[in-house]
Amino acid sequence: MAGVLTICRKELSDHLGSKRYLLLFALIVVLSVLSAYTGSEYIRDNPNSSFTSIFSGSMNSSFSFIYLMVLFGPIIGLALGFDAINRERTRGSLSVILSQPIFRDSILNGKFIAGVAALSLLAVSTVGIITGISIPMLGYGPGGEDILRIGLFTLLTILYLSIWLAVGLLFSTMTKSTTTSILMSISTWLFFSILISILATLVANAVVPVEVASGFQMVQGGNQTMGDIRDLEDMASAFNRTQTFQQTETSEYMESMEENANLEATIQKISPTYLYEEASQSLLGVTEGGFGQGGNPFQALETTQSVSSSWPQVTVLAVVLIACFASSYMLFLRQEIRAGG
Amino acid sequence: MSKPIIETHQLTKQYGEFTAVNNLELSINEGEIVGFLGPNGAGKTTTLLMLMGLSVPTSGTATVGGYDVVEESKQVRQIAGMMPEGSGYYEDLTARQNLQYIGQLNDIPKDEVDNRIDELLEAVDLVKWADTKVEKFSRGMKQRLGISEVLIKQPKIAFFDEPTLGLDPKSTKELRDILLKLNKEQGLTIFLSSHLLHEVQQTCQRVLIIRRGKLVAADTIANLSNNLLSKDMSSIEFELTEIDSDLIQKLNDVSGVKSVEQQNHKLFVNLENGNVREVSETITKHGSIILLMKPRTFSLEEIFLDYYKED
Ligand SMILES: Nc1ncnc2c1ncn2[C@@H]1O[C@H](COP(=O)(O)OP(=O)(O)OP(=O)(O)O)[C@@H](O)[C@H]1O
Ligand SMILES: [Mg+2]
Repeated sequence: MAGVLTICRKELSDHLGSKRYLLLFALIVVLSVLSAYTGSEYIRDNPNSSFTSIFSGSMNSSFSFIYLMVLFGPIIGLALGFDAINRERTRGSLSVILSQPIFRDSILNGKFIAGVAALSLLAVSTVGIITGISIPMLGYGPGGEDILRIGLFTLLTILYLSIWLAVGLLFSTMTKSTTTSILMSISTWLFFSILISILATLVANAVVPVEVASGFQMVQGGNQTMGDIRDLEDMASAFNRTQTFQQTETSEYMESMEENANLEATIQKISPTYLYEEASQSLLGVTEGGFGQGGNPFQALETTQSVSSSWPQVTVLAVVLIACFASSYMLFLRQEIRAGG
Repeated sequence: MSKPIIETHQLTKQYGEFTAVNNLELSINEGEIVGFLGPNGAGKTTTLLMLMGLSVPTSGTATVGGYDVVEESKQVRQIAGMMPEGSGYYEDLTARQNLQYIGQLNDIPKDEVDNRIDELLEAVDLVKWADTKVEKFSRGMKQRLGISEVLIKQPKIAFFDEPTLGLDPKSTKELRDILLKLNKEQGLTIFLSSHLLHEVQQTCQRVLIIRRGKLVAADTIANLSNNLLSKDMSSIEFELTEIDSDLIQKLNDVSGVKSVEQQNHKLFVNLENGNVREVSETITKHGSIILLMKPRTFSLEEIFLDYYKED
């Protein structure tokens, strides 16, 4: 175990001194401060909301700490892991440290723990900064319950960032060159933080079309087929009736819309970013009710309820983390160790 | 000077279908300095990696210092140090920091590490550069740092995979002196893979030659060169004013002449119980003047080329 500690200590001091880490840290701190402004603005506009909304803002608002993590979380974790093994291999230092009385797994363990520590430092400081600057902005601080929720949310954020670290570590074990693993990391980042939500929307709209479909249904319901529409006036009147139909028969429209949204959510569930977003909202107690169910969207759940409702997402996230780490483990233990290949 | 400290039995390593090391039988005694020679791709690096427990043999066994290289690889790495092929260092750390890291990985107490670092930096002549980042080092300086990294754990056995690659003659000699000194004073067993025959000749008491994964010779350099020449053959080197194919044909016809080789102005005539006088007479009769005539001597390279030759 001495080996793990030694490696961990070196890697951690490498991280904390690296331009890469400091740059990301600075970026996230600056953006977090901005997110604290929009968050506290939101709380002022919605007096019902709890202190913890500072991290979530409104669900539809495009700028919150959670959103920041969805967008930048992957790149932070990946950046700390993508070259962990392959850089040592090409440089030739891997065979040197493997010639010391340590086991091969100590290297992975040490590097992973150091990465998690660096990520924890980042998560704890940004959450702390946001909480700290929000208090004077709002004029009040978090209650005991809020502090507990924020603590749990911080742990969740660390878990979430560690997943990307583990993915990066896997890439660095799989590939020989850092150029390949950096490309893989960037693709992964783009896919999970940006592309997947666009894809999910596209697929959901294709499978369960919302507005257009109900429009056609209406047209057919009025015993008028598309072929019967001769001119623009007909079209316009058909469209008008669609509108009135939608207003009167809202339930059907709502149904298809909800179905669409559910499908979109299901597709997105393969992404840790989405799971993190969902679990964060539960843990912070800012979950919105179902679609169109009016009322107060912040029917604050008890903390214990929040924890149990976020449990499925947390479990999946943990499983993803373990799977990635175990894969790099198995790969690395079987690999031939040679400089440059 | 008798107990084997490194032993392998039927040691084999396959990469897929390809056999890189083939049923290798080695035995190296404590305190020996052994050279490990062989053409590129012969399996030297593969063997060294297996002996340090960095690569798992496909079959066969090996022990280093009495420890099994698979089951007790950590213990092997406690008592044996290696400078691997193409080894590299942490460029953003200084020489001292690199050595400290290696020392920590070996669980050596901090004070002790610092003492050893000072001694080693002295020995490899890096004292002036101790606190310079390795990225500023020349290749030879890095190489010397690598040597001190092997020695910091005070090993009983040291493996070097082409340690003098990229070293200038002065550094090469210095390295040789360090190794010989450690061997003499501390009984360090040294197993050294190299392509520099003169280097090996001056450092090693014994050489092992491996070709296509198989051990083809294990002996002292003197014995190996004698073996090559003691085949009832003698070879005579001539330097002539004029050489043509007609002369070569005539020489080949002389009884006892096995073969004739031409290298520019030189002619090598290989004889088996042949008549040297008849050879020289044939040359002068042909009209050529003998500028030089002497028994042929083989360079080390020539000797080893014979062992390296494919069957
Ligand atoms: N990971 C690997 N996969 C497949 N083949 C390999 C692998 N590593 C080495 N080899 C092959 O094994 C053989 C022996 O390689 P090795 O590096 O041991 O040779 P060497 O004697 O050290 O050569 P050199 O003098 O060039 O350093 C080579 O033919 C090489 O191509
Ligand atoms: Mg080699």
